[in-house]
Amino acid sequence: MVNEEALAWVIRTRDPRFDDWEAFTIWLEGDPARAQAYDALMAQDAELDAIIPPDPVAMPVAANDVAPTRRQAWRWAAGGAIAAALVATVSIGMMNRADIYSVSTRPGETRRIALDDGTTIELNGDTRLRLDRKDLRFAALDRGEAAFTVRHDAGDPFRVSVGDAVFEDAGTVFNIVHTDKATRIGVSEGKVIYNPEAEAIALPAGRALADDADGLRVMDVAPAAVASWREGRLVYANAAIGDISQDIGRSLGIRVTATPGAQAMRFTGTIRLDRDPARFFAGAAPLMGLSAVRQGDAWVLKQGSTKEGNAPQS
Amino acid sequence: MATGLSAIFMANRAALLRFLRARGAGDDAEDLLQDMWMKLEAKDLGPVSDPLPYLYRMANNLMLDRYRSSSRRERREQDWAEGAGGVMADPTEDIAVDERIILNQRLDEARGVLRRLGPRVELVFRRFRIEGVGQKVIAEELGVSLTTVEKDLQKAYRAMIALKQKLDTE
Repeated sequence: MVNEEALAWVIRTRDPRFDDWEAFTIWLEGDPARAQAYDALMAQDAELDAIIPPDPVAMPVAANDVAPTRRQAWRWAAGGAIAAALVATVSIGMMNRADIYSVSTRPGETRRIALDDGTTIELNGDTRLRLDRKDLRFAALDRGEAAFTVRHDAGDPFRVSVGDAVFEDAGTVFNIVHTDKATRIGVSEGKVIYNPEAEAIALPAGRALADDADGLRVMDVAPAAVASWREGRLVYANAAIGDISQDIGRSLGIRVTATPGAQAMRFTGTIRLDRDPARFFAGAAPLMGLSAVRQGDAWVLKQGSTKEGNAPQS
Repeated sequence: MATGLSAIFMANRAALLRFLRARGAGDDAEDLLQDMWMKLEAKDLGPVSDPLPYLYRMANNLMLDRYRSSSRRERREQDWAEGAGGVMADPTEDIAVDERIILNQRLDEARGVLRRLGPRVELVFRRFRIEGVGQKVIAEELGVSLTTVEKDLQKAYRAMIALKQKLDTE
């Protein structure tokens, strides 16, 4: 049986806007058993992460094709105006022109590119980006992670092509991650339009989009957390450990995998990057409720933090 | 370092101490408060929009950590007593296939529980619990009252915790 009063306080205090701590104190003081009931329920709440299934959201094929359902309405309506203007298609043919050049970084290396139009692009490790000498308003992210600080020009929007998708800026700072399994974008300033000619999903600052095995999803992200790798830290709100392990690998230039049990877990918080992987994992793994084990040149993240086992002596 | 947060801490020291005692800290309340102070001094947090709720939350998190580590220790001691410590397990061993199947079955079961609650309850729960959106914002988004959102959340939580307890005893 669930203690209803304690459950109500769990829900109340879990709200990011909760501020009536005095009322909570008074309730707790009523009976010492209340604090215990609250602790027990909070612990169960924390363990729910492992069993809450991801939520794939089916997307309409085209923005004007399907009448938005109630579900889509609340998800997308907040994004504001859907891009009305269509932009020129990025043709496959132009990718092969001599004006196209690519910029790459090795794992663990970062690089900053300043374009003549005032746009800057920062590449995280193990990343490949293609640019066009003839068209400063275009970039293709083939692999890895890049943060874009775009000089906005409404008449000539900056476009980033990622796999089959196109992101179009509307005055913007945003970060894109592209791996063979997933594409993720977070917007920290301005607005980005995802696939302006198809779904045309507007992503204002504080919104993120992920396209992976679970489908296409839009979620909230703390604007300050976007592209935080540039400041030597990774900031997450309820992020999948699978994604985080890839971010760590890219940022530190090491191979990181996670066991299926660890992959099913989620993490909220800030991880400070450290060039020394052993020192990094000794601090970061327990923070995520994980332990890290060195396997050859790779690191494996496992469920459960064991204080004894996370700093191998090798 | 005399940031606003430290000043707010000092001004509300008594209230925070009372909260920690009510939360079950007992004789350790003073020590925990000292821990909080050290953390505040060590970290340059910059301006925090709602400093007092921030400090209360910090205190609450300290107590949650304490509960978690003590229950983990109990579990470890119990494992030791039962001789099931798993000390010999290969640390590099990946999760077994059957464990993975169980994990997927659990996710399916949870999916079923959420579906049966109805679309609005599921939506409210996901928005609150997974995406961390406040109840007031959810109520505005859906155009329903705050009470409705509260009731939906309680319903979803009851169902999910019941499922959790059932899975734990399987």
